[in-house]
Parts: sequence; structure tokens; C-alpha cells
Amino acid sequence: MREVKTLDVSHLPPYEISSQAPLWWGQLFITFIEGTMFSILIAAYFYTRLRMDVWPPPGDQFPHIGLPTVSLVLIILSAVGSYWASEAAKRADRMGVIWGLLLNLVLAGAALILRIIEWHSFNFNWKTDGYGSYIWAFLGLHTFDYISDLVFTLVLLVIAMFGRLGPRQRVGVHVDSVVWYFIVLIWIPIYIVVYWGPWLVGTQQ
Amino acid sequence: MTATQDIVPQTQNQAEDLENLNRVWRHPRGVLGWLSYTTHQAIGMRYIVTAFIMLLAGGIEALLIRTQLAHSNNTFLGPDHYNEIFTTHGTTMMFLFAVPMMEGMAIYLVPLMLGTRNVAFPRLNAFGYWMYLGGVLFLYWGVFTNAAPDMGWFAYTPLSGPQFTPGKRTDIWAQMITFTEVSAMCVAAEIIATVFKMRAPRMSLNRIPLYVWSMLIQSFMVLFAMPAIMIASSFLLSDRTVATHFVNPAEGGDPLLYQHIFWFFGHPEVYIIFIPALGFASAIVSANCRREVVGYTAMVLSQIANGFIAFGLWVHHMFATGLPQIGEAFFTASSMMIAITSGVQIFCWLATMWTGRIRLTTSMHFIYGFIAIFALGGMTGVILASVPLDLQAHDTFFVVGHFHYVLIGGAVFPLFGAFYHWFPKMTGRLMNETAGKLNFWVLFVGFNLTFFPMHILGLKGMTRRIYTYPPEMGWDQLNMLATIGAWIIAIGGLIFLANVFWGRRYGTVAGNNPWDAESLEWAAASPPKNYNFEYLPVVTSRAPLWVPPEDRTFVTGLRNDRREVLVTTLMDAEPHHRYVLPRPSIWPFLTGVAVTIGFIGSVFDAWYITFGSILTGICLIGWFWPSRPVELEP
Repeated sequence: MREVKTLDVSHLPPYEISSQAPLWWGQLFITFIEGTMFSILIAAYFYTRLRMDVWPPPGDQFPHIGLPTVSLVLIILSAVGSYWASEAAKRADRMGVIWGLLLNLVLAGAALILRIIEWHSFNFNWKTDGYGSYIWAFLGLHTFDYISDLVFTLVLLVIAMFGRLGPRQRVGVHVDSVVWYFIVLIWIPIYIVVYWGPWLVGTQQ
Repeated sequence: MTATQDIVPQTQNQAEDLENLNRVWRHPRGVLGWLSYTTHQAIGMRYIVTAFIMLLAGGIEALLIRTQLAHSNNTFLGPDHYNEIFTTHGTTMMFLFAVPMMEGMAIYLVPLMLGTRNVAFPRLNAFGYWMYLGGVLFLYWGVFTNAAPDMGWFAYTPLSGPQFTPGKRTDIWAQMITFTEVSAMCVAAEIIATVFKMRAPRMSLNRIPLYVWSMLIQSFMVLFAMPAIMIASSFLLSDRTVATHFVNPAEGGDPLLYQHIFWFFGHPEVYIIFIPALGFASAIVSANCRREVVGYTAMVLSQIANGFIAFGLWVHHMFATGLPQIGEAFFTASSMMIAITSGVQIFCWLATMWTGRIRLTTSMHFIYGFIAIFALGGMTGVILASVPLDLQAHDTFFVVGHFHYVLIGGAVFPLFGAFYHWFPKMTGRLMNETAGKLNFWVLFVGFNLTFFPMHILGLKGMTRRIYTYPPEMGWDQLNMLATIGAWIIAIGGLIFLANVFWGRRYGTVAGNNPWDAESLEWAAASPPKNYNFEYLPVVTSRAPLWVPPEDRTFVTGLRNDRREVLVTTLMDAEPHHRYVLPRPSIWPFLTGVAVTIGFIGSVFDAWYITFGSILTGICLIGWFWPSRPVELEP
């Protein structure tokens, strides 16, 4: 019988929690898609602004800066919790995962409440005019992502507390942190456009 | 190349390994089982069959259009029906046939060509198909309930806005877009992840087949282009259903913005359809010229350049909208530039044929047809890239002729070549070559007869989207010619179908590698087992099957009692870790149903967005919920 050359891979680990995992890449590409969507929305906002003489249109209030900025700081801090949980997941440290995810959820939840309080003070909605449509598109899309990921994080927390924290779940915690970093990072330009935009490129009253 | 079968490693427990593989990769049984399939061959085949049915539907619509236009003052279709049918034709062909067909072929072929067992995310793959099917059913539900869209496949505002197109027709169109784009983005993400991380060991980036390169580039284009159409269709839909004002000029929106965003997607879309076809051409040319394609690096770089330039062309669809001249000049230049990178590829194939030993198979015929037709379509493209000429030809049949030359010549001819080329791999039997060549000539003659006269008609002033014309225009003869051509194309389609059914039943049994081709899919059985390869191959060359059998290496040590594959490094594809793919699951289907409820419902009442999101959330939790802890131990 002819000798056949073989490459034995039985010594390789059966899973990996890092940027070598296919799931990490898949998640990265999903963030490309979302990032492109928000970029196009930002471009459309400025395109529309260029076509208008008065921005925001007469009657729409200028945004407040205070609460949204506090909210922004909280969102950025919540990424620390994500990072903590993700590093703990790599070490299979159940308590670290639980505390990290809790910190993430608490800070992100507080930031969300501030955001919702703030949008209740608007004197326009998406039906008012083009400007209102954009502001609510930014807030709506981002908040949709935001809440979706919070729910997923909550599920992970429940699994970590009461269920089995196996390799697949730990990869889930790690990838969840990638999603959360994206949601935090993309919020920074959106925050600038939504809350500073009228002050920077608008017509002062 | 039957020798490949004898030279797999003879390990002690080979029989047991094989039994394990067959058991672990077996499809679940029953109707619920059928809805739970996650193997890439099954999902890919579902895409291909569904997209082919859509090709037939779009083809029938084309015949109706051509029959109506056959002579002046025809009353075969009224203006309303005509509008619905040409809109449905364009929409079907672009969104429900061309892109999903290319995705389906890739889902089927890419894992085989990379020497792995499945795509990186099998359940996402299944979900993507259910989304696509949702889009198909939604649009055709509209067609059969007298709610077909009637505002053109691009739905320009303000015509498509709530003011001028009331009713649900446009909403159905816009939401159908969302379905198909979700599907395309799922496929794109998993194709890139599969190509990056699941290649056969040592298949470094400069050894992956040109077809896989084309799919990699296409998938990246999908990631950056498809979000644009989702934004455009969402703007349109929310203006229509929840009274936003994105594209409403009366309330501080802008209708031209819709065109910008639409074409920012729409132009790359052409390349999303066309670049995979370039990959088909490379694979068919190298197999049938029995040498590797000349200029691998030049081919890859020019395809990447195509991908980039494609994003800088969208305004050439909008020259007639009165844009600043500097913008028009830029887009003219970039539109002409893409002829360079496309030309490089054509010359690489010609050089391959020149220096190879050509075997004139049916698939090769289709490649010749592709090169001839595509070159002509490219030339009218260069003509249309010039602003003054474009302004003359805009909205005439010249444009219709041009883009059918590019899309049918550039994508459908290579696709038919690909069908003939890979049919034996997918079914185990060859199609009839004589009938195949007849098939080609009938399609080729019919195609040119249909679309060449359209250029002349356009220059004579015949505008697009008219349902009839008066006899004194003098367009009768050429239109009749085009209509005869369309029916000849239909005969070509029937020959193809007959050949498929004949081949499946009576075709010569193909064996693993009927064309003596070089890429890894030909090392698998025909049709492939669910696990593709008993032992994953190690790749040491760009033409792994042209390496002498005694020099080949195989991977051992993967566990066969679960769906395990090998993950390799990004650049050099060194083995990195093992990766256990999930088992079949009903959750992707249920998630698809939940999303469908949300999407379709939201056309009628915005609260369905919330309802659908909650349902989807529940399904996703089910999808990710930990299963029995049997997997993932070392």
C-alpha cells in the first residue's frame, strides 16, 4: 500500500475565544453593515441640510446638550463591563462574567433611561418635517440595536448565573462584547450629529 | 482522476470514521426535519432552484412585454398591466433571480472549493434562505392579488411616494427589498468568514481559486452596497406608512436623495451580479484550456479594483438630473476607468485560451458568447458614460439594449456555462453536450435578435416604459424582430430545461472529476456527501488536483462523531483550531417566520414592527439557547 502524507490536527484545541473564531469575524461583518447604514444616514442628513436655508426648520427646538452628554459618558463606561466580562469568559471565570455583564447592563440601562427622558422633551416628532424624520431615524435605529443587544446580554447573564457556561456560551460573551463596542463607538458620531449638529451646522436664531 | 479515491489515508478505523461522518451529517427526517436542514449543498440547491423559478417567472414577464410591443397600437396588455409587468420583470430579475442565484451557487461551491465541510454559520445560512423565500412569496402574493408594483423597478420618488402611488403596491416592493437584502447580507457575512477562516490548510490567500476571490470581493461589495438600498427603501416605506418626510420636498425632504442612495446601491449591484460571473468564467476557462488562468495576480487585483471603482459610478445613472458639471466629469472618468480593469480580465482569459489546449465544451461556448456580448455591452457602456451622449440616449431603448447586453451577456451566459460545468458535480450526471451546444446557439441568436435592434430603436427615439407606439414612428419592424428574438430565447430556455431533466435521469454518470479540472470541488463525490470530504485536503498549489496524487496530503485527527471542521489562519491558512458546527435546527425557520410576520405586518400597521421584534427576539433566544452539553469537549 502506498504511503500517504497526513497532517494530524488532533492536538489542536476544539474551540477558541478570540479574533481567530469565525463567529468573531461574522460579527465584525455585521457591524460593517450597520456602520454603513449609519454612515449613509449621516451623509443623507448633511445632504438634506445643504438643501435647506434654515436648519433646523423654524419651530423645531435646538437640542439640549447636558443629559445626552451624561448619557454618552455612561455608555462609554458600560463598555468597561463588556470588556471585563469578555476577558473573564476567556479564562472561564464565571463570577467575572457575571459581574462584567451586570456592570454593562446597569450602566447601559441608566444611559438608555436618560436618552428616553431627553427625547420626551423634543417639541417635534418624525412627522413634523425632514429634520424630525432624521433625528428619529438616528434615535430609532440606534435604540433598536441598543435594546436588542441589552436583551441578548441579559440572556447571557441568565445563562451565566443559572445555566451552563460552556465554550460556546463563552464565545457568545466575547462576541457580545464586540457588538457592544460597536454600538458604543457608532453612538459617538451619532451623538455629535443629533445633539451638536444644529449648533454646528444649523442656522442660529 | 478516479485515482483520488484510492489514495486517502488508510487509517485503522477508516470504516468507523466513515460511518460516524455519515451518521453525524445525516439530514433530519420528516417535514420539520426538512425545514431544519443546514448543510450548504441543500441550502445552496434551494437558492438555485428558487432563483431559477424566478428566472422563469421574469422570463414569462419579458415575453408578455415583448408580445405587447411586437407591433404598433397593440392592445394585448393595457397600460396599467404593462406597468405592473415591466416593474415585476425588473424587480424579479434583479432582486429575486440574479443576486440570489449568484449567492446560491456560492453557497454550494465555495465550501467545496475551499476544502471544508460547510459554511461558517450554517444556521444563519438556512435563515438567509427563508428570508429570501419570504421576499419571493410576498412579491408574488402581490402580483396574484392585483397588488403588483407598477412604478419601475427603481421606484423613483416622487412618483412612488404616497401622493402619486397610493395603495400597497409600492409598499410591497419596498418590503420585498428588505427581505432579499437581509438574505444577501447573511450570505455575504458567512461567505467572507468561511473564506477567511475555513480554508484548507496551506491554501494561502494567493492560492484560493479565482472564483472564490470573485465571491470574496462580491461579498464585501454586498456589505457596503446593500445597506444603501435598505436605507432607500426604508425612507420610501416610512414616508408612505408613518408619514416621515425623508424624500418629501414639501416638508424639508429631498426626492433626488432617493436616487442618489438607490444608485449608490444600484451600480455596485450590477457588479455584485457580474463579478461572480467573472469567477465562473475563470473556473471554466482554466478547466477547459487545461492550464491555470494567465495572470492570477492581475486578475485578482483588477477584480478588487472593479469592486472599488463600482462604488464611484452611481451618478452616471443620474446625468439627466442636472448635477454640477465637476461631478459629471468625475463620474464620466471613473465610468470609463472600469473598462480598463474589465479589459485586463478579458485579455487574461484570451491569453489563457491562446496558450492552452482548448476543449470546446458547452460551457466553453457560453464563455465565448459571454466575451463577445459583454465586450459589445461594455462598448455601449463607454458611450453612455459620456454625458452629452447619455443625455441623448437617456430613457431610450438604447439603454435597455445596453444593460441587457451587460447583464445577460455578463452574468447569464457565464451562469449557463456554470450550470453545464457544475451540473455533474451537483447531480452526479452530465447534461447532453450536443443539446447543450444547440442550447447555446439558440440562446445566442435569440439574444442578439432581441437586444441588438433595441440599440437602433433607441437611437431612433423609442423611449423606455411606453406600452405602445403609433405606426407612423416606423418602429414596427425592429420591434417585431426583437419580439421574435424573445420567443427564440424562450425556446432556448426550454431546451435547457429539457436537458436538465434528461441529464438528471439519463445523463452519463460523471464520476468525481469529469472535466479533469483543478479545483477541490472535483475531489469530492458527485453529488457530494453532506460532509464533502472524508479527509480534508491540504493544499500546496493553486491547482490542487493537478498535483500528482502521491504528492498530496490529507488532514487527519478531526473528530468525526460531531460536525467538526478546521479553522485556519487568515493569510497562510495554517491550522489554528478545530471548530464544531451546530447541529440542524428548526429555529432559523421559526426566526424567519417571525421576521416575516414583522416585515409583512409593518406594511399595514407600524405596530407589527414591535410585535415582530418581540417574536424574533424570542426565536433568537431559542436559537442560541444552550443545547445538551455533549459538544465541545476536547
